[in-house]
Amino acid sequence: MTLDQKRMIVAALSFLFLASLLVVAWVEGGKERIHPKPRPVVGADSAKCLQCHEQKTPVIAAQWTDSRHAQLGVGCYECHRADEKEPDAFQHEGKWIATIVSPADCGACHQDIAREFQHSHHSQAAQFIGSLDNVLGEVIEGRLAAVNGCWQCHGSTVAFAKEKDGTVRKDKTGKPMLDPTTWPNTGIGRVNLDGSRGACSACHSRHAFSRAMARQPEVCGKCHMGPDHPQIEIYEESKHGIAFRTRLAEMNLSSESWVLGVDYTAAPTCATCHMSATRNQPVTHDVGARISWTLRPVISRKLDEWEKKREAMKDVCANCHAPDFIAAFYTSFDATVEMWNSKFAVPAQSVMDALRARHLLTPTPFDEEIEWSFYRLWHHEGRRARMGVSMQGPDYTQWHGFFEVAERFYFDFLPKAREAGRGDPQVTRALKAVLDSPEHAWLKGMSPEDRAKIDAFYRERYGAETVK
Amino acid sequence: MNQDATAPPAGEPVAPHGGRPLPLPKSRAGRWLQRRLPIDLDALRYYSNEPVPNHLKHWWWCLGGTPAMLFAVQAVTGILLSFYYVPDPSQAYESVKRVSTIVPFGWFLRSIHRWSSNLMIAAVILHMMRVFFTGAYRKPRELNWMIGIGLLGATLFFGFTGYSLVYEQLSYWGATVAGNLTEAVPIIGPYLARLLRGGEMVGDNTLTRFFILHIGILPALITALLGAHVLLFRLHGVTEFEFESPKLRGSEEKKTFPFFPDHVMTELIVGIGLAFVLTCLAVIFPVGLAEKANPLQTPPHIKPEWYFFWTFRWLKLTGLTFAVLSIGFFGFLALAWPFVDAAIRRRRPASELSVRLGILAVCALVVLTVWEAFATH
Repeated sequence: MTLDQKRMIVAALSFLFLASLLVVAWVEGGKERIHPKPRPVVGADSAKCLQCHEQKTPVIAAQWTDSRHAQLGVGCYECHRADEKEPDAFQHEGKWIATIVSPADCGACHQDIAREFQHSHHSQAAQFIGSLDNVLGEVIEGRLAAVNGCWQCHGSTVAFAKEKDGTVRKDKTGKPMLDPTTWPNTGIGRVNLDGSRGACSACHSRHAFSRAMARQPEVCGKCHMGPDHPQIEIYEESKHGIAFRTRLAEMNLSSESWVLGVDYTAAPTCATCHMSATRNQPVTHDVGARISWTLRPVISRKLDEWEKKREAMKDVCANCHAPDFIAAFYTSFDATVEMWNSKFAVPAQSVMDALRARHLLTPTPFDEEIEWSFYRLWHHEGRRARMGVSMQGPDYTQWHGFFEVAERFYFDFLPKAREAGRGDPQVTRALKAVLDSPEHAWLKGMSPEDRAKIDAFYRERYGAETVK
Repeated sequence: MNQDATAPPAGEPVAPHGGRPLPLPKSRAGRWLQRRLPIDLDALRYYSNEPVPNHLKHWWWCLGGTPAMLFAVQAVTGILLSFYYVPDPSQAYESVKRVSTIVPFGWFLRSIHRWSSNLMIAAVILHMMRVFFTGAYRKPRELNWMIGIGLLGATLFFGFTGYSLVYEQLSYWGATVAGNLTEAVPIIGPYLARLLRGGEMVGDNTLTRFFILHIGILPALITALLGAHVLLFRLHGVTEFEFESPKLRGSEEKKTFPFFPDHVMTELIVGIGLAFVLTCLAVIFPVGLAEKANPLQTPPHIKPEWYFFWTFRWLKLTGLTFAVLSIGFFGFLALAWPFVDAAIRRRRPASELSVRLGILAVCALVVLTVWEAFATH
């Protein structure tokens, strides 16, 4: 090969090499298109906010920068701007803004979601004020227990701080001050100054507004936990929760589209069953749209349009389970709730009604032991049992549920009812009616034949010495 | 004070050993540079234009420069990758993932680095086969063969420490197997294994040690060995052969050709060709990332990189102790082969034993490698 030929080859190979580098650049460009990084789009007004707030509140600014809102140009001012006439509006650096971004503000863009939410049970969560729960929290426990406890989940009724003369208190810049017992508050049913109900940030924590976070069970678990509604604990012990923890990396939680069976298949979260899209139904922000029973009150009842709601939930179940499986589950679930109603809830309620009818209880709630006993029976133990079966948490159905229900009912509630009844014939009749029913016949004692059967079983299984 | 009449004017550069004054270039910049870098350009031209034997025109004889070029690629891409790599078991895998998915052109750099390492090992093996089968290791070039064996060992160790750093399952369990193999070396094995791993098991210390080996000790070792290899090659000159083929032999008048620019141009073709091939490989077969290392989960099927397939198969066939001892023996035999071969040829000058043994060894390596490649367990 001559030197000139070699030079030609070098030139040709150099050309090929440079061309291959162009392909590399093209592939790199494609990668960027597939995984776009958030590039904040900042309007002129929001840019002014960021100038200061990147220094004063850098974490908020950084969280917003990474958000989808930032990519779409929805900045500080777009959400916080207010009309001069709004009650909580104030001037800040030459602009009218408000501190609280209410569902009405979010609804300016997310109309459908805001509408769905306003119809949901979540939006009514602060309406418990005036119910028995509120007396317990605000009066018996103490108001600040309610402010920092109940209200943080259920929501406060946001109010202005007042001067002694009843006028709204303002700071030195003229900004109206909010009553510190009512705000900060991100309770799901917060009643806002503009009349709207709710706080979107209860689930979509500001200022990242992360989809992934809202889909995490932990978001729901902030409030749906504890002795009276331990949904997160039940979920965690259920197969659904175990699958979620095991396959968290495969949940695709950040995906814009999050359709069960399409965008993810690893496990269901709370959002999956109660809110998120399936191939047949869209996402909903009405969390009750797929719930057929209310397990909250003393006596559970099926909700309005429960058949439609149940079909919506069955559609979710059907992504993983066969129709027979789903039907069998609901048969068992319904029967268990009905057993709670007939065996414990209705009898206990009838006894309480008789005591009240005969004025054997004072009008003051929770000033007599039997009221605490009854409350624990339905509000704590009874709910645990019902919620346990609704979400396939066996331990919450039984040991934390019906076992404690039985112990409370037979050995705490009924003795206290007898004591409170003081031999009153109407109460005695009510108690007799309870104990005469077949569900409670075991309390009258076992027949010798039944006892003999149990002894024989024990002898066979554990040896003769176990039966005395 | 009298000045020596033959001495160059003060400040003007002279050739080494007080020789003649160096000729100054015509340009002002050239003269400025020559005064500060007193290099004898004539001598440089002489050495760089040294005629080389005609057979170097053949591609088979260009393999020696290939590993050096690939080593340069490894150095450049390796430095860039080390900007992002974190040698800590809790972060190593994530940092590699970040390079592959987030860092601009990171996937390309990593793919080039991985493919180049594979090609470098292949080039070293091919170069050594050429040297072996042409007998170029014989007197007086025995030392250079031994340096070459050292370079092969260092390159393989380079590859091993490299894929261990990724901290995939292969990385962890490959390092575990290597640790067990080292432990099986008689007497010093346990100490050597502990030195390598920084403990009784592969752990935090191991990754740090492999990282230091990969980016510090091995590059320095290879640079030193490569320098010695090239120096000895230049001192001895290119091995001259008696070829029957006129294409390789050249004509009587043209038995040689100039190193520069002719042979340099050939090497340039190889270099740019390699760059093109590497880019194509990186684009078409970008390097992925397997499952993260999990010390609690032994993978059901684990295989090292292809260049260790033969050792892995040999290990499975013969058992740990025999495999370690026999591989050690093969290594020693390869190192000492120029002397063994010389002893044989002293007794039987026409012996072709080295060629036969070489063919046998290559066949055995190929069979063991292919066997392991297709084996499911």
